[in-house]
Amino acid sequence: MFRHTPLRYAVLAILAVAALVQTFTAGYFGLEILIEILILCLLVLALDLVAGFGGMVSLCHGALMGVGAYAFVALGTLAGLDPWLAALAAVAITAAMAWVIGAICARSHGIYFIMATLAFGQMAYSYVFESPLFGGDDGMGGIDRFDLGAIGLDLNDSRTFALFCLAVVVLAYLFSVAILRSGLGRSLSGVMHNEKRMKALGLNTWRIKADVFGLSGIIAGVAGVLAAQHIMFISPGLLNWTVSGEALVVVILGGLGTLVGPLVGAAAFVVMKHELGEITTYWHLVVGVILIAVVMSRANGIFGWVEARWGAAIERRLTDATRSPAKKEVSTDA
Amino acid sequence: MTQDLSFWTLQTLNALQLSMLLFLLSIGLTVIFGLMHFVNLAHGALYALGAYIAASIAGVAGFWVAIIAAPVGVALVGVVLYGGLIQRMRKSGPMAQVLVTFGLIFALLDLTRIFWGDLALAMSMPQVLSGQVDLLGVSYPAYRLFIILLGGAIFVALALVLSRTQIGAMIRAGVDNDAMAACLGINVERLFFVVFCVGCALAGLAGAVAAPLLSVTPGMGLQILIPTLIVIVIGGLGSLKGAVAGSLIYGFVQTFGAVLAPQLASVLIYALLAAVLVIKPVGLFPAKG
Repeated sequence: MFRHTPLRYAVLAILAVAALVQTFTAGYFGLEILIEILILCLLVLALDLVAGFGGMVSLCHGALMGVGAYAFVALGTLAGLDPWLAALAAVAITAAMAWVIGAICARSHGIYFIMATLAFGQMAYSYVFESPLFGGDDGMGGIDRFDLGAIGLDLNDSRTFALFCLAVVVLAYLFSVAILRSGLGRSLSGVMHNEKRMKALGLNTWRIKADVFGLSGIIAGVAGVLAAQHIMFISPGLLNWTVSGEALVVVILGGLGTLVGPLVGAAAFVVMKHELGEITTYWHLVVGVILIAVVMSRANGIFGWVEARWGAAIERRLTDATRSPAKKEVSTDA
Repeated sequence: MTQDLSFWTLQTLNALQLSMLLFLLSIGLTVIFGLMHFVNLAHGALYALGAYIAASIAGVAGFWVAIIAAPVGVALVGVVLYGGLIQRMRKSGPMAQVLVTFGLIFALLDLTRIFWGDLALAMSMPQVLSGQVDLLGVSYPAYRLFIILLGGAIFVALALVLSRTQIGAMIRAGVDNDAMAACLGINVERLFFVVFCVGCALAGLAGAVAAPLLSVTPGMGLQILIPTLIVIVIGGLGSLKGAVAGSLIYGFVQTFGAVLAPQLASVLIYALLAAVLVIKPVGLFPAKG
C-alpha cells in the first residue's frame, strides 16, 4: 500500500517550491519547459498508478493522453462545445476507453499485457492518423484555453497557465493517493503481489484491474486536455507508442511504484532532454545509456535509490525520537 | 479489377513477400523469446543495422558479399550485446528487459546516425534479380520473388534443423522446459547464446534483403518493430509454426486490407491482434501448452 514517508513529503515540498520559484522567476522559455514537465507529470502519475501499483505495464497511456487531447479538440471545434464541457466530456471518453482496454487486457500477463496495450494504443494512433475527420496526419489546430476571466485569470498568459497546470498536478496527485488508499487500491496491490490468492479470497481481479485502469485514464485524459491547450495544436504523433515508451522510461528513471519518483523523473527527463539537446543532437544516445545503467544497477530509479539509502535512516531516527518519551513515561509509572 | 485472376495472384505474391520478410525477423525474436524468456525490443534496431552494413558493403563489394556480410556483422554485434547486457538481464522480469532494450533502441538509433548520418542510403539490387519474371500470367519483380524464395528456404532449413537434428531437439526441449533440459545434461546457457546469435544474424539478413526495396533510414528499425511483435504475439511465443502463421496472417491481412478496404487497413491488423489476445491470450500456436 502507498505510504507517505518523511522523505516523500520532503521531496514533494521541494518539487512544489521549485515549481513555484520557476513560475515566478523564469522567462517565456523556462515557463514552456515547466508546463511541459507538469503535463508529463500527469501522464506518469497515471502510468505509475497502473504499472507501479498494479503491475500492469501499459504501452497505451500515451495514446490515452492523445485520445483525451483529440476528444477535447474535436468536441470544441467540430461540435462547438464550451471548452469546460468539452474537457469534461473528453476526460469521460478517455476514462471509458481506458476501462474497456483495461478490462480486455486484464486477462493477459507480463509481456502479453504489454503487447495487448500496445495494440490498442496503435489502433487509436492508426485510426486518428488515417481519419479525415480528425485532420489525418495534418493534425488539428484552433483550440481555446479555458476562460477563467470570471475569477480574473487569463490562461493565455504562460505564467498563469503554468500555475493552473501546477494546481491540476497537485489535484491529480491527491486523487492518485486517494485511489491507492481506498479499498480498491489495496485490493489492487494484493492482485499485483498474488493474483491467485486474491481470486481465492473471492475478489473479481479483472474488475479491480479494469477499474484502476479506467481511473488512471481520467488522469491521462486530463493530461491530454492540458497538452492540447498548451501546444494549441495536436497531431497523431501524440498517440504514437513511443510517447508511451518515453513515459515508461520516465517512470522507471524516477522510481516505479512511489508516485513521488515519477514526478522527479519527469522533471529530470525534460530538463535533461533540453540541456542535452543544446549540446548534442544525439541526446537519445545519452538517455539510452543512462536508462540502461539505471535498470542494470537494480536501483528503483533516482528516487528509489535515494529512498533506499536515506529513507530508512530518516524514518528510524524519527521513530526513535517519538518512542523515547513514551519509554520514560513507562519507567516513571513503574 | 477484383474479378481478374491476375489481381489476386499479384496481391498474393505481395502478401507472401511481406510475410517472408517479417518471418525472417520474427523467427529470431520468437525463439529468443520462447527459449530465453527475453524480450528483445532492440531486434528491430539490429535489422536496421543489417540494412546499413549491407548498404555500405554493397557499394564496395557488391550485393552478394553484402548479403553475407550483414548477418555476420550483426551476429558479432549480438555477441557483444549478449556478453554485455543480455546475459545479465536474463533473470530479471519482462519489465526490466523491455526497458533495457528500449534504452538499447535509443542508443543504437543514434549510433547509426553518428556512423552513417541522417540521410537515407540506397542499395541497388544485383543485375540478375533486377528484371521481371512472368508467373501465372503476371509479371512480377524478380527481386521480390527472391525474397519469397529465400524466406521459404530459411523456413525449410529451420524446420529441418528443429525437427530432425540433435541440436533442434535440444532447442525444443529448452523451450518446453529449460530446467528439465538442463537436468538432462543440455548446456542450456550455451544453447541460448547460439540461438541468440542466429536470431541476430537472421535480423541482419532481413535488413540486408529489405534494403534494396526500402530506403535505409535510422528509423526503419522502429517502424518494423511493431509488425514483428504483432506477428509473434498472434502466432504465439517460441514456436516456428507460430512465427510462420503470424507472418502469413499479418502479410495477407495487411496487403489485402490495403487494396480491398483502404479505410480500415491500418486498424484491421491491430483489431485482429486484440481479438486474438481476447480469445487466446497466449497466441494461436504457443510453444508451451
